[in-house]
Amino acid sequence: MQRDRMDWIWFGGLWVLFTAIGEVLALGLNLLPGQYAEEAKVVDDAYVLLIALSVPVFALVAAVLLTAMLRFRTRVGPDGPTEDGPHIAYNKRVVRGWFIGSISLVLLVVINPGLVGLSEIRGESSADMVVEVTSQRWLWTFGFENGAETTTELVLPVDKRVRFDITSLDVVHSFWVPAFRTKIDAVPGRVTELFVTPNREAEPEEDVANLRVQCAEVCGLGHARMGVPIRIVPEAEFDAWVANLAEGE
Amino acid sequence: MLKLPVIRAVIGGLVGYFVGSGLTLLFRGGSFTDEIVVVFGYVVGLIGWLLGVGVWNTWVREWFGLPPKPDELTGWQRYLGFSTDHKVIGVQYLATFIIVMLLGGLSAMVMRIELAQAGETIMSADRYNQLMSMHGILMVAVAVAGVLGSFGNYLVPIMIGADDMAFPRLNAVTYWLVPPVAIGLLSAPALGSFDAGWTAYPPLSVVNNGGQILFVLAVTTFGLSSIFGGLNILTTVATMRAPGMSWGRLPIFVWGAVSASIISLFVTQFFAASLILIGMDRTVGSAFFDASAGGDPLLYQHLFWFYSHPAVYVMVLPSFGVVLEVLTHMSRKPLFAYKAAVGAMLSIVGMSCIVWAHHMFTSGMATYLHGPFMFLTELISIPTGVIFLSALGTIWRGKLWMKAPLLLAMIWIFQFLMGGVTGIFLADVATDVQLHDTYFVVAHFHYTIMGGVIFGLLAGIHYWFPKITGRMYHERTGIIFAVWVGLAFQFTFIPQFWLGTNGMNRRVADYATELEGGNLLSSISAFVLGAGFLLLVGNMLWSARRGPPAGDNPWNASTLEWQISSPPPEHNFPHLPEIVGHPYGYGIAGARHAELVGVTTTTSEEDDQ
Repeated sequence: MQRDRMDWIWFGGLWVLFTAIGEVLALGLNLLPGQYAEEAKVVDDAYVLLIALSVPVFALVAAVLLTAMLRFRTRVGPDGPTEDGPHIAYNKRVVRGWFIGSISLVLLVVINPGLVGLSEIRGESSADMVVEVTSQRWLWTFGFENGAETTTELVLPVDKRVRFDITSLDVVHSFWVPAFRTKIDAVPGRVTELFVTPNREAEPEEDVANLRVQCAEVCGLGHARMGVPIRIVPEAEFDAWVANLAEGE
Repeated sequence: MLKLPVIRAVIGGLVGYFVGSGLTLLFRGGSFTDEIVVVFGYVVGLIGWLLGVGVWNTWVREWFGLPPKPDELTGWQRYLGFSTDHKVIGVQYLATFIIVMLLGGLSAMVMRIELAQAGETIMSADRYNQLMSMHGILMVAVAVAGVLGSFGNYLVPIMIGADDMAFPRLNAVTYWLVPPVAIGLLSAPALGSFDAGWTAYPPLSVVNNGGQILFVLAVTTFGLSSIFGGLNILTTVATMRAPGMSWGRLPIFVWGAVSASIISLFVTQFFAASLILIGMDRTVGSAFFDASAGGDPLLYQHLFWFYSHPAVYVMVLPSFGVVLEVLTHMSRKPLFAYKAAVGAMLSIVGMSCIVWAHHMFTSGMATYLHGPFMFLTELISIPTGVIFLSALGTIWRGKLWMKAPLLLAMIWIFQFLMGGVTGIFLADVATDVQLHDTYFVVAHFHYTIMGGVIFGLLAGIHYWFPKITGRMYHERTGIIFAVWVGLAFQFTFIPQFWLGTNGMNRRVADYATELEGGNLLSSISAFVLGAGFLLLVGNMLWSARRGPPAGDNPWNASTLEWQISSPPPEHNFPHLPEIVGHPYGYGIAGARHAELVGVTTTTSEEDDQ
């Protein structure tokens, strides 16, 4: 019995230790790129919450594995194993505890960040302006309300809620902006919608990998390079840019 | 030469191909590379292949009232023939899929050379997309049939006390449908390859190069094989269990194989249907997925994932079985919460069919579907958690015999957990809209499919090697292999979680230079990982011929396959065994699983250290 208690102490100690180290690492290290939209916060908060919740789960399994490695190994002679472990085929308390733990964890995750996050990212459907996005292999075309069009860069005003109306002329593409933490497919014959509120001025050079519209659904030869840089500017500057763009045509 | 069935199969296949395509050309005109010509050539060629390999000599001769002429092959030639022995078929599957796995692994390493640095390094973006698609479909095939085809065939009949499968000839056909799949896929470059990934989303898969039609034909054939296999395993377990082998006494691996077979038998058709619709859009001018003619690209995605999500459980359920089996015998403890584990497997079967649209949160699918699919997907982690409970409860306070199979099974627990936990990030809509189609997904499914399925296969290969060959593998090499690939695997795929979170999308030959560090680390580790597999191949090839004789039951394990000789005799048991107890009676003095009559066992005098 004494030995049995020591096993549990080892396991409990390792679990607490791994959880503590894991949480410090997970919450201390900044694993995420810069946020450039209101909606990105919802996604990042969900991401961080899920990491925080998965650390103890991970630590539990790691603690059992390490306890087993350290305490349950047996030397087996040349004739093969002769001694068996105890005949523990079931333990009502452990199984019940496991079910209660896993079911409550799942329900928690389904509610928050699950349904809460879902309502936040898909909730409000009003917008200050609309950008029409047309994709084709391997080109993005952005159309603005004054009729201006561009394919070389996407410029957006800061703090305005933008609705993107997205479609495709050929195969399925996917409109992804890592800095906004969102994407939706561009599907031939459909118009898909995405709402984004850029909240920080930005030049694409700040974060080339994230401040871009990138195709995220494989579409053939030019798929990897089907990307356009994004610039976020004050509203007045945007108005001037889009007016200038319309005149230039 | 014609005595060797595989030669007859090749001749039959070639003759069939040219008859099929020639007749099509005769009636229709055109050229040999026209897709409709290829389709007819392939279908008739496939029939020719099967007739050549043995269907003519066995089945068809019987239909015409002639005596069947099965090939009398001995030694290694049996493995190139139309054998109806489930053990030969199991080895055929194992050898075939190890070769395919090594091919898929090589293609992955070539991809990692391209990805080690940003920019175009060794190949064009086109070539990269083709290689990536080939890697994907080859490895999916390995995962679907690697464990179920090899260990399912080899072990299920023995473990339930039967002399063979319920339909031995169908079993032979099931295996012999596999080589044409590999040939079809690998000859796709002749028609310009396919570049739409293993998922083959239209409209891309309708408008791309002609190699896509070979993908459609080959993968549909593979589906047929999978359906036959599922039917055979289910019928075998339902009807051929030895006296006393109640459902509650089935070894857990049999339950894994049964659960996976239920999915194979009932859901694979949806994948075949979706591919056939693509084939029709390509060849006969239908427009199922052409929006401008009233079709809908999303229709394909629903059909495709309706099979392809359950398919990951076809892959992983047998692997659950292997790992739980290894854990219980090598911890010398009964499987913890056996009934709960069986219940979990069956719940996974049911639930796997109602979660498919979590692959489609960013597809433009109606928003009201997101909540329910997120909920159902996250619910499936409860039965999956029970498998972990069973695994951990089994090793707790066991007498762990730290041999290579157990070490690999413990690495499996860690890796599959990683795959499962990161799966929650992809089931959650808010995080999925960022992570979908990025390297986060790539890392996630490599943890579940390579870390889960393939490591289960590796544990099983070591565990059952002495049974299949009669010889023991080299233990120290086995341990080094397990540690080597266990470490290299983490360093290959953990960086990819970070890459995906930081703006690297999947299926790209090129990426922003900011992401080079993580990619280089992943590439170097991938090479170390790939090199580690040489240890496995070397160990197995050497040990199969030179390893010390293992004896019948080197692990002193309780299930039926260890109670007969290594390798087992042709019909497994001289008399039907009688099952008198639960398979995992460890810790009860004198517990017996089965009474065997007429079996003489030998033990090895060699020290297996």
